[in-house]
Amino acid sequence: MLVDLAGGWNPMLGRLAWSQIPYDNPILAPLFVAVVIGTIIILGLITYYGKWTYLWKEWLTTVDHKKLGVMYIILGLVMLFRGFIDGLMIRTQQAWAVGTHSSGVFGATHGYLTPFHFGQVYSAHGLIMILLAATPLLVGFMNIIVPIQIGARDMAYPYLNALGLWITAAAGALIMISLFVGDFAHNGWFGYAPIFELQYSPGVGVDYWIWTMELVALGTTLGGINILATIIKMRAPGMSWGRLPIFVWASLSANVIALTSFPALQVALGLVAADRYLGAHFFTAGLGGNLMLYTNLFWIWGHPEVYFVILPAFGMMSEIFPTFSEKPLFGYITMVLASLAIAGVSWLVWLHHFFTMGAGPYVNSAFSVATMLVGIPTGVKVFNWAFTMYRGRLTFNAAMLWAIGALFLLLIGGLTGMMLAVPAINYMVHNSVFVVAHFHSMLLVIVYAIFASVIYWFPKVFGFKLDEFWAKTMFWLFSAGTTLVFVPMYMLGFMGMTRRLDYVFNTAWHPYLLVMEFGIVVYMISVLAFFALLYVSIRDHAKNRVGTDAWGTSRSLEWLTHSPVPFYNFAVLPHISTRDEVAWRRDNGIDHVQPDHYEDIHMPNNTGVAIILGGLTFVLGFALVWRIWWLCILSLLAIMALVIYRSFKGDPGYIITAAELEEMEKDAMRREAQIGKQHYRVGGGVLGDAIAYERSDLPPLASQPGSSVGLDHRS
Amino acid sequence: MQVKWRNNLKNGWRYAALAPILLLNGCAGNPYWIFNPKGLMADTDLFYLILDVVIMGSIVGLTALLVIWFMWRYQKGKNRGKYDPTWSHSNTIEVFVWGIPIIAVGFLSWFAVKGTFEINPYNPTVITNHMKPNGDPVEVDVIATDWQWLFVYPQYHMAVTNELVLPAHTPVFFRLTSTAVTTTFFIPQLVGMIDVMPGMRTKNALESNNIGEYQGIASDYAGAGTSWMTFKTKMLSSADFGQWVQKVQQSPTSMTYTSFNHYAEPYIDVHHKVAYFSSVQNGLFDHVIDEVMNGKTWPIPPMMTENMVAYMQKQDAEHRD
Repeated sequence: MLVDLAGGWNPMLGRLAWSQIPYDNPILAPLFVAVVIGTIIILGLITYYGKWTYLWKEWLTTVDHKKLGVMYIILGLVMLFRGFIDGLMIRTQQAWAVGTHSSGVFGATHGYLTPFHFGQVYSAHGLIMILLAATPLLVGFMNIIVPIQIGARDMAYPYLNALGLWITAAAGALIMISLFVGDFAHNGWFGYAPIFELQYSPGVGVDYWIWTMELVALGTTLGGINILATIIKMRAPGMSWGRLPIFVWASLSANVIALTSFPALQVALGLVAADRYLGAHFFTAGLGGNLMLYTNLFWIWGHPEVYFVILPAFGMMSEIFPTFSEKPLFGYITMVLASLAIAGVSWLVWLHHFFTMGAGPYVNSAFSVATMLVGIPTGVKVFNWAFTMYRGRLTFNAAMLWAIGALFLLLIGGLTGMMLAVPAINYMVHNSVFVVAHFHSMLLVIVYAIFASVIYWFPKVFGFKLDEFWAKTMFWLFSAGTTLVFVPMYMLGFMGMTRRLDYVFNTAWHPYLLVMEFGIVVYMISVLAFFALLYVSIRDHAKNRVGTDAWGTSRSLEWLTHSPVPFYNFAVLPHISTRDEVAWRRDNGIDHVQPDHYEDIHMPNNTGVAIILGGLTFVLGFALVWRIWWLCILSLLAIMALVIYRSFKGDPGYIITAAELEEMEKDAMRREAQIGKQHYRVGGGVLGDAIAYERSDLPPLASQPGSSVGLDHRS
Repeated sequence: MQVKWRNNLKNGWRYAALAPILLLNGCAGNPYWIFNPKGLMADTDLFYLILDVVIMGSIVGLTALLVIWFMWRYQKGKNRGKYDPTWSHSNTIEVFVWGIPIIAVGFLSWFAVKGTFEINPYNPTVITNHMKPNGDPVEVDVIATDWQWLFVYPQYHMAVTNELVLPAHTPVFFRLTSTAVTTTFFIPQLVGMIDVMPGMRTKNALESNNIGEYQGIASDYAGAGTSWMTFKTKMLSSADFGQWVQKVQQSPTSMTYTSFNHYAEPYIDVHHKVAYFSSVQNGLFDHVIDEVMNGKTWPIPPMMTENMVAYMQKQDAEHRD
């Protein structure tokens, strides 16, 4: 061993020992039993219904970007739930452990969580919500929507796409298993130096934290490369940059950030690992280490990451507002420029996460001004959404409500963000719950945008709409929860309450903490409403089936193909004539024109390599956490062997013949005709006898809808 | 001149902006520490807070009203406003949507930079610019351990744990460091936060004309004892402060490099123990920084507070100093 370890170590099991299993913990032990029983039930049901083959063939080995996206979203929702439970635990502890007279149970002097446990809960909450809930949810949506919106059949690298998912899932599994084997980090999701050093965190918690983040970083980087390559290289004919749907622009700018910033995180965490595993001194206080360097390195990734998650959310809102305002997005070019500006400025602001670290006034001033610059493009975006509604015809269905909720939260988050950007204000509220309330406002913008998108794009992916009543009920409950939790939190911030207190010394704060506790219960009810939403929608799915254009007012290309989207996306790749292609086709009465003949399609084969690599990555992470060196080496060798094997084997893909394709298309059209909302014209018709999908026989461009201002579409 | 203008603005806006909150809590005293500053630094911070909220709040508020108005006017089926399905661009509006944020950010940037210098912890001009030439500032060396505060008064060669006592009407200059991990020094009503880091020295300063007792907080997570790592800050008249100094100097205990080593071991200050040290070995602050830079650590036992009740029994049994 290169470093002295507290507790034992043996060559076979590393640091793993029975004492590391918290079987005597009154919270974790029952949870473990529940998880085991739940797993047995699920596995039993799969076996009973004989779904193993289906699961393996259709989902676990798939390279279809839509299925991978759906699995990303399921992973994100599961982790969102876990993170929410952590939030519930944090709120309960703070509502309980107030003042010296508050009672304590389970070994805590106050409340029910000891400082050690409380630290783990909020660290896991933060890490999970940002990296394993928000990130996979957004990556999932980008996965599903971007290729369809640009008229591609799949991602540029379908196998890499699957690999990204399974490595992210491995990270999720690693943080989940830390509940039951060992413990998790207590140093906050971003990690304080030098508290994560071995002297101050001798357990395995920090190691779980390192390797979970490393794996997410790896998975997201792979995903980012893929989405960038897809957007740049896989656009349908005629899909020029000026016609790119706005969500694609948002994804592009977000993934530029991901690709360039995640390596910084990987390096920073790698150096932390060097400190903890090799006895290096990168971030220790003494012996030449520089703990401030860690904070800088982390936020050099951390702040761009914030925009990596907010930009796709902005993109989602920019898709939803026009659809339900029944007019094009106001100021498309401005929106694109604003997205790119946010992405660019995201690199120049990291220091505002630690104005109080003692930098001089020149440094703080520079970063303060840079931070405020972000307010300009963000403000532009808000105004543009407002003017998208102007002179529109607004339908306030559930998706629109969530998007409007996101807009209002962005206003609040923006106001408080501009406060935090001023060092003179920041000194008073940095590390207070005011900051917590601020970034929750911003992250809730993302959550609202995600739920808006779930409702908006669900019919595209599954072929039926979600139930409006329950979607709206959930919205109002969720918004009530948001208000009840975060308004008191802002107020507490102004009262000087600081972050991460597992014991609250000031009883004057108690009423507010109780209101927040009530708020989180309302959140819990909204979670139940979400389950009801899924249940009712699936039960009534036959009633809620939709055709290609689920909302009737959609604008971008994904609404041109069938709902649910066939695995090949488009039977014949569409030729793009304008921005808002579907709106234009609808206005010109050619939205249901189908191609009159089909050609063979080349598709990638499924592969089990990705999920096996994901599993091996999990084993590697686990072995590293527990310092089981033989298992590390073994799993690493297996990963390398498998990667090499796959590289040499390659994938020749397979062909869907034109005849098969025609058959499937006819099926899809027959299904949609039964809904009574679609009237297909196959070939011929108003357009003569050429292929409808050819650009040449579309109506003259003079008949374009209003999206024509700005860039010229006549390329 | 400028100060007068600022005070007028500050008082006017402060009460206008905070009216709803003050009304809510008018009777029970003001629990909003940030809105109720009692020192020059915190006061300056509040000025910028109000300025920022007034400017940004008016923009954000108007935008919110605009959105609500559009939502009302353009709702489908109500036929309140004209529907223009192709309208998606206007150069005039573009000028405004870029212009308003640019002007607001430009304006706020000016004040942000100005404020940063005024409350710069190393040389807060809001304090240093008006210091009398023969002013007699108090110096305090702050050493954060896991999880206590040691306040060394080098001018008086004495030290106090977990309680900060200062004279009013006098500038106070802090030097801060930490033994083990990072935390943050924060007295909400007197001075904003500054990080306290091992092996490093930061600075801060405050001045208050308000006699009273204020809460001090370790506002950054530093491990198991963070929540109890609080300290009372007492602002006394100079006469009372002199008496207090004499009281401390009569304490029988003293702090040496050796006894500090023991003192700095992990200790959760649940009982808010205040201890006086009538003498402190010279250069303790620099000595601590040197030691940490040379690799000294004060490790924490594994799973320390997995059972907090048991740990507290153990800690109490040790009867540390």
